[in-house]
Amino acid sequence: MSLRKGSVVKPPVFEYMAPATVEETVRALARHGARAAPLAGGQSLVPLLNRRRVRPDVVVDLGRVAGLDTVRVADGAVRIGALARLRTLERHETLGAALPVLRQTVRLVAHPQIRTRATLGGSLCHADPAAELPALAVALGARLRLAGAGGERELDAEEFFRPGRTARRPGELLTEITLPLRDGFTHRFVEIPRHAHGGLPLVGVCAGTRREADGTVTAARIAAAGAADRPLRLRGAERALTGGPLTEEAVARALDAAASAAAPPADPHGDAAYRTALLRTALRRALAAAPHPGTDPKERA
Amino acid sequence: MTAAPAGPGPDDTTARPDAPQQPTGGPIGRSVPRLHDDRLLRGQGRFTDDIDDGTALHAVVLRSPVAHGRLTRFDAGAARADGRAVLVLGPDEIARHTRPLPTVWRIRGQRQDTIELAPRTVRYAGQPVGLVVAAGRAEAEDVAELVETGYEPLPAVVGTDAALADGAPLVHPEYGGNTAGSARFGDSEDEVERALAGAAHVVTRELGVQRVAYTSLETRALLAEWTPGTEQLTVWAGTQVPHPFRYGLARALRLRVDQVRVAVPDLGGAFGGKTVLHADETLVCLAARLLGRRVAWTEDRAEALTASYQGRGMSATARLGLDADGRFVALDAHITGDVGAFVSQAGTGPFQVAAQAIEGPYRFGRAGASVRAVWTNAVPTGAYRGYGMQEACWIRERLVAEAARELGLPAAELRRRNLIGPEELPYTTRTFSTYDTGDYPRALHSAEQAVADAPRVREGRIRRGAAAVPSIEATGYGPTSLLEAAGMEAGGWESGRIRVNEDGTVTVFAGVVAMGQGIETALAQIVADRLGVPLGLVAVRLGDTDTTPRSEFSSQASRSVVVAGGALMRAGARMRERMHALAASLLETSAEDVRLDVEGEDEPVFRAAKTSRTATWAQVAHRGWLGWGRPDPDRIVLEETVDFDPPGLTYAYAAHAAAVAVDLDTGQITVEGYWAFSDSGPLVNPMIAEGQIAGAVAQGLGIALTEEAALDPSTGLPLTTSLRDYELPAPATVPTALHLSHTSTPGTVAPGGFKGLGEGGMLPAPVVVANAVADAVPEIARRLERTPLSPYRVWTMLRDAGLATG
Repeated sequence: MSLRKGSVVKPPVFEYMAPATVEETVRALARHGARAAPLAGGQSLVPLLNRRRVRPDVVVDLGRVAGLDTVRVADGAVRIGALARLRTLERHETLGAALPVLRQTVRLVAHPQIRTRATLGGSLCHADPAAELPALAVALGARLRLAGAGGERELDAEEFFRPGRTARRPGELLTEITLPLRDGFTHRFVEIPRHAHGGLPLVGVCAGTRREADGTVTAARIAAAGAADRPLRLRGAERALTGGPLTEEAVARALDAAASAAAPPADPHGDAAYRTALLRTALRRALAAAPHPGTDPKERA
Repeated sequence: MTAAPAGPGPDDTTARPDAPQQPTGGPIGRSVPRLHDDRLLRGQGRFTDDIDDGTALHAVVLRSPVAHGRLTRFDAGAARADGRAVLVLGPDEIARHTRPLPTVWRIRGQRQDTIELAPRTVRYAGQPVGLVVAAGRAEAEDVAELVETGYEPLPAVVGTDAALADGAPLVHPEYGGNTAGSARFGDSEDEVERALAGAAHVVTRELGVQRVAYTSLETRALLAEWTPGTEQLTVWAGTQVPHPFRYGLARALRLRVDQVRVAVPDLGGAFGGKTVLHADETLVCLAARLLGRRVAWTEDRAEALTASYQGRGMSATARLGLDADGRFVALDAHITGDVGAFVSQAGTGPFQVAAQAIEGPYRFGRAGASVRAVWTNAVPTGAYRGYGMQEACWIRERLVAEAARELGLPAAELRRRNLIGPEELPYTTRTFSTYDTGDYPRALHSAEQAVADAPRVREGRIRRGAAAVPSIEATGYGPTSLLEAAGMEAGGWESGRIRVNEDGTVTVFAGVVAMGQGIETALAQIVADRLGVPLGLVAVRLGDTDTTPRSEFSSQASRSVVVAGGALMRAGARMRERMHALAASLLETSAEDVRLDVEGEDEPVFRAAKTSRTATWAQVAHRGWLGWGRPDPDRIVLEETVDFDPPGLTYAYAAHAAAVAVDLDTGQITVEGYWAFSDSGPLVNPMIAEGQIAGAVAQGLGIALTEEAALDPSTGLPLTTSLRDYELPAPATVPTALHLSHTSTPGTVAPGGFKGLGEGGMLPAPVVVANAVADAVPEIARRLERTPLSPYRVWTMLRDAGLATG
């Protein structure tokens, strides 16, 4: 792309490509490898470009790739194209009925304006450790399909998210996310943002439990955002809850297990002790039978 | 948002019959829509960045990456060889072509009297050291990366405590210390000490207000054009102060002021951040001058958050002494102001105002405040909305709330015993403020009543509490003699000019600037009201040094309606008289016999009562410009200009109340209800006034809860370089239960009895929130000494108090 004279845009010069198919995209990504940046909704990449924090030689705009924004609910799973916009997921009736926690979680992400552009695949590949959707993917046991020049592969969410990065190789394109519908599970995502009014997430917990009629927890899947350098599956907490009713003691053991697994970062918004305390609070609230007082899905004081 | 009726007491306008030039039931007092909103909301705004048609070159400012250091190397060889560089300026070229900027508001003992444009010793991260110009912004950014610089690091002085510590590195070694200057306001230290020694109870606190960034929607922006043939510099600039901007530019660039025209297009907010000429803005104009071209520059958000001057940055040791009956016998504050790398044009002013305004609406036996202005390796501070007065309110009302808590007295009762009553006005404080009119106890009573039934919950994990505080806002800066006495190189007067054109339309010229606050509409209402013509006839022209009256302060300090509006009130009365006299001559009758009839927006018609003869307003104006039938042979031009230098400050006041919830598990604070009872005299446009107050409350909640321009304590590098980390209040920060109401007690200073209100809404907001938190969680009340009350800070206090375990 050449810059118009007098242009006010700020990024370093890059080549712009807008392939129309997955095959073309994969070829382009393979050719340029780590020098290429795939552009989905642009909500993370464009600010990074403008601040010159990333300097790709090639920006591969995925916006014209056909068929990557579909949403299907069938055969006990939800299959979502990587380019599906968050706003679409938020408004999708069938999806909302099949997997209510997805809608609930998407609504915690940023603002409607951003969700109108942002994509599920973009959020997962950006992989901010405090972001909601990577933690949701881990808690739900999502499978991520990657297309590369050598063919396709599928990874569990827990394999996909690595410390500080993802398992996506340069040249690969995330094409589809499969979320299994687990019979009898109910999930809840509780987030604690920086402020009561919202803002960026500090800590989030997605907790899913399957309970018998008598209240016995027969299975649990729990993951946390903002608790480590990647979305963190809280297996110790899952074990502490499984096999008995959700008593105060069981919840306390789960909170302790979660806290001991956490290795959160420290910055001016909170040290590790604060974030660990928030993790306990978020998990406790996610496990609480009744919704927390206040109807706003963002936990408010 | 609702405009709820006020609490007890009469709520409607209570204009005193003897107030000067009372509004007549015309356009003044009506909530007419703002004249520019239709255009702006349709995307038809013309901001600085919209002016260029694509011919301008683009500038990038080269900035210091270190907080303190000596620039040892500036090698532009590779940059100039790149071919895309149109101009690269380093410190040496800049020094060769310029003079430093003048300072304006100096404090006693201040020897730093100029501001260097691009010094070889850098004193904050982000300080300009050079400028690159290329065809587009991206090319200029590319070229900027090719400039090779080297710095010899010097130890960074971060914060005033570090600056004042023994053996602290010196920001300006030539001055022998890090204190830029100091001053005392009110009673002497000795006298206050004696009074405190005799007090039955003394409360002492270390109180601080953080540094904040201005964060206007539109960042600073500039388009500069040098026309070689006529040797004229034209600058379209997002500034609040076109005339001082021009003066500074002319000084720095060695031009005559009449070679420089500064014009202000639509301006997307300012909050005080655009009240001074910055060094980087000067460099952009220098580039245009050297190139004979148009050069454009728009600050990006990172620059806005780190290299634009900032606001606040104060800490104080403050003491309140009370006698056995809870009367305030003494108030003392030792204020330390963080002026940053150098004293900016606004410089120490905010801290001096904090000292001067320390007493607020209370009586004190003795009161005084000392200011010490301190250099640090941070970006300089300057004028931020409500400066000084918000800090003073924070100091005073935290002390009062803590005194009430320690004494076990209801805060309302303690305040009632010490508030200045309406019968005591005019009242001169220990720091020589003379409050003109108002009823402070009544406003506070309304606020207290508003939260009388707010929930108080002191058990469980969600606590709830409420508070109410009064505040005073000095508005209408200011009497020129006062500024002169304060050592401030500025005049406080305004000039208002009304021209009735030959077609009867009315053009108004004023020295104030429209920056989104709606002043053009308010001034149009004032002039239409005074002339007795429909609002649609009036156009307002602001912000152009070639055509609008010279103004030193322009739009800041809650003064535009008071001072510019005051001048136009008088100019309007004179013009009305002249038009009536001209009409009388045309209708062959006496001026007393002429009446101006207006039907809606129809053209007004003069009518002679005795003969029923008529002439339209436009006919009279047209004849006036021909010079026909003029009553005074020496006056033809249909213009009236009045200079108004206010005889004093006029004091608006308010009381705010807040109800909050505190989540003990997260430290998060939710403002669940907010009430503002304001009195700024007669309101020209109540809708605009409410917008100003609501916005100021939101900004005050930002200071209370979220905003802080933070530096790394060891390196002095900014930590808040984007809106990801510099957290603004969000719509949800402001409760939907925001209740605004007004009383209208005319002031005695300005024609119309107007008082200012642009800043008042933010003065009590931080402290009323803190006091409500203290009410909800008294266990941490003692430690609520600094804003922002961020969740992490609050949680840390809760944990230390044994209230938060996680």
